[in-house]
Amino acid sequence: MYDELKFDNCNHSKDPMVGCALEGATGVLAGIKDISIVIHSPQGCSSTVSAAYDVHEIDFTKRKVACTRLFETDVVMGASSKLKKLIEEADSKFKTRAIFVVGTCAADIIGEDIEGLCRNIQPQINAKLIPLMAGGFRGNLYDGIELGLNALFPFIKKQKEKIPDSVNLIAPQANLNPTWWADLKWVRETLEKIGIKVQAVLPHDTSLEELDNAGLASANILLSHDAGYKFGLKMQEVHGIPLILSDIPLPIGLKNTARWLRAVGNYFGVEEKVEAIIKDGEDIAIDVLRRRGLMMIPRYRNCRVAISADATMGIGLARMLFEELEMIPELLLFRSPVSDSQLLLENELNDMGISPKVVFSADGYQIKQSLTESCVDAVFGSSWEYYLAEELGIKFVFDVFNPTNRQNYLNRAYFGYEGMLNFLENVANDWERALRSKHINWEEYS
Amino acid sequence: MVGIANESVVFFGHLSELYQLAKEGKIETKLQGSHTRPCKFWTAMKILSGIKNTVVIAHGPSGCAFGVKQAYKLTNCRNSGSPYESIITTNIDEKAIVYGGEKELKGAILEVDKKYKPDVIFVATSCATGIIGDYVDAIVNKIKPKINAEIMAIHCEGFAGEYRSGFDLVFRQIVQLMDKPDSESRSRLANSVNIVGGKMGPERTEIETDVKELRRLIESMGASVNAVIAGNCSLEEIKKAPSVAVNCTLCLDLGYAIGREMLDQFDTPLNSTILPYGISATERWLREAAKHLHLENEAEELIKREYEAIRIEFEEAKKYLAGKLAIVEGHDAIKSLSIAHMLERDFGMRAVIYNFHPWSTQARETSIDYLLETGLDPEILITKGTLAFGKYEAMVQTENELMEYLGDLNPETTVYFGSSMSFPNIPVVDLNAILNRPRFGYRGALKVAKCICTALEYSFRPRSWVTKKMVFPENSGLCSAQSLTPKLAQDLPDCTVYAGRERGKCMMS
Repeated sequence: MYDELKFDNCNHSKDPMVGCALEGATGVLAGIKDISIVIHSPQGCSSTVSAAYDVHEIDFTKRKVACTRLFETDVVMGASSKLKKLIEEADSKFKTRAIFVVGTCAADIIGEDIEGLCRNIQPQINAKLIPLMAGGFRGNLYDGIELGLNALFPFIKKQKEKIPDSVNLIAPQANLNPTWWADLKWVRETLEKIGIKVQAVLPHDTSLEELDNAGLASANILLSHDAGYKFGLKMQEVHGIPLILSDIPLPIGLKNTARWLRAVGNYFGVEEKVEAIIKDGEDIAIDVLRRRGLMMIPRYRNCRVAISADATMGIGLARMLFEELEMIPELLLFRSPVSDSQLLLENELNDMGISPKVVFSADGYQIKQSLTESCVDAVFGSSWEYYLAEELGIKFVFDVFNPTNRQNYLNRAYFGYEGMLNFLENVANDWERALRSKHINWEEYS
Repeated sequence: MVGIANESVVFFGHLSELYQLAKEGKIETKLQGSHTRPCKFWTAMKILSGIKNTVVIAHGPSGCAFGVKQAYKLTNCRNSGSPYESIITTNIDEKAIVYGGEKELKGAILEVDKKYKPDVIFVATSCATGIIGDYVDAIVNKIKPKINAEIMAIHCEGFAGEYRSGFDLVFRQIVQLMDKPDSESRSRLANSVNIVGGKMGPERTEIETDVKELRRLIESMGASVNAVIAGNCSLEEIKKAPSVAVNCTLCLDLGYAIGREMLDQFDTPLNSTILPYGISATERWLREAAKHLHLENEAEELIKREYEAIRIEFEEAKKYLAGKLAIVEGHDAIKSLSIAHMLERDFGMRAVIYNFHPWSTQARETSIDYLLETGLDPEILITKGTLAFGKYEAMVQTENELMEYLGDLNPETTVYFGSSMSFPNIPVVDLNAILNRPRFGYRGALKVAKCICTALEYSFRPRSWVTKKMVFPENSGLCSAQSLTPKLAQDLPDCTVYAGRERGKCMMS
């Protein structure tokens, strides 16, 4: 199965690789159109909200955020009147249809009654007010995503009838692809190609109407192995929409893409259509690789690698690297606790017959220690791993995840067939750059 | 005033008048709710990130530490070639909020001491642990004998003070790490200075920077730099810092707190001027340093030499500018005051600082006091947009007001000093661009002069419609075709606060 690594001196101190619950929660809200966010907090928390807007790449012209900027006296005396005034100001200036009123650590701990305040002033406010307590101490980024998704429930109308062949896509943003919205696009377009309508994306560029009608979908598909699972189960319970495909990896690599497509095909009874897509996709990918990537066969075969990622990317990637590129995934470093996808990971590793070393909720220290103690030839990770590996003398580091040093002007999916090529193209370029000598002794050649 | 309607103007007068109004509470000095700055925790972290081989334990939930890691630590790796640096969180959860996080903190300190072996552990409090009242000082004092590292508690809860209070707090506190000078240590460092008021870490290696230029000037005078505090300095350098001949401020506002504290505690002299933009400020900076280094003659020779090397181009730029009107974008208060100082003193221009937020009169008191003492009192124009609610909304409004103000001003006699992401119909000089560095010292003055000459030489070229449209999408609601807010560069989504997911975002500050 796997060998879970344990570390000394890591019970109380963590060098975090993911943000707090506030970032996760507001990262959900930032994916909803025509809303604004009022945070009841000291001003530093606004940078976390900014990071949440960055997740959806919302440009500066569209960000509607206000902050009560709590100071010491506010913390001692409470600051409900300050919050009330700010909500009124945000309502009159931003003119959005809904305002999420978010309490962060300070407001959460001093027990500000945000819910009561929103209820009381709602009659004087045009926007719908949605209170949300999201103190950072309520968990990590992924816990925050669940908190944020929960806050969307009041917008989703209960529907008895369902639209056949329609789905909601959940938690697309919990994905370390630097341009993850390209993965979402691939899923949407592929589903549409086989006649399945995307009812709502929860959330990305989502309108309030879309949210309102999310209850009409006939299935929910989770696009992350790190977050959204609890929300999916609750949707099943409250709205009677089954959560499907959560027991197989996301479509990363040829085999996983085929599995994912076939599972969709089986569920909706469109097997033939998906087989055609699989055939075309595989033909194109292999044809391109034959012409442009032939050297990857001797280059990558039996290369021992570490994958430092989230479960969304990491689980699928392990199979792609092992079976399709003949690499050996020796070390799997997950940023999240992988709490809802443990079984999937176990099944995958058992099925492949490999037993890599694994770290869950890996922090910076643990990543460094694991890389130091392992004998990997290459690392798949983000710019963090790039600097860590560089320091440790690991020559091949593929900077493919967030936060990345790679400039992507065009969106690049990692899901699906083109996605696999995008991923391999990045890897090939990083490989070439790693082999370029940076320390030529020019005098020797003069 | 040209063009601008009276009802758009909140204040138009001299800096001294604005300062007085603010002190008397006659003008609103609060930042509007949509305009936040980094909190005390963040600013404290920015300074602590400039001390080598130390570990910060952010006692709180993970988000505070993670934000700093993304912003400062990653930027240090990306821009300055720093190795990977950890920042630790005690990662407190709901249970710790209820029962206290002291156990987590004790455990974290012991673990950090063992696994990182740092010179110093800084325990930084966050909002959460500040409110629940964890007895951080007691823990730190009790644990001191059990660990190898030096340890210091930094009370920097985000709610506990305004933006700059974190800078001042840390700068004052790190003085406690310093050794008291004796005659021997003073004589060893009699020829050295500290540059104080730095932050974040090492300088970029591949480009000329302001700090490097100041270091070059000090060394050309025959002296040396003991440390840039806190720009990649070590504990050892900090310990011996009070023995230097003089502390020279990099940024007066940030450097003053540590300089003053060192003066009070150790009698270390302080050389404080406004940012050494241009000849006049640089000369003052050098002469004051030289006085304490007893290198007055060397300084005068250096001044002569350095000026001679740039004289022709500098004088050329001066010819273009003397008597003209400079509109200086005022979003970054310190820079705008320093640039105004340079333009008036060196180039003989009339400087009007546009949209200097009244909030800055409190946040930047030290620099304002200095400027007024030196007899400089630039004009300030504040329009309603500066105080308007909504970041983008305020930007649009200030932009329109800028265009109104420019009105019929003659482009031949007016120059705009601000972001090149502004598109006024007058020559734009952007001193922030990475290629326009260093900006300090003589080479800086030359860069400034060249930058001005280039802007004027190519002012015939219409600004790129592509870049204009990038910044102002068609449906953004902006009325003026030629416009872009001067504040935009600073207001792009908190890029200086949070490094974000990719490279390529503005990380100039």
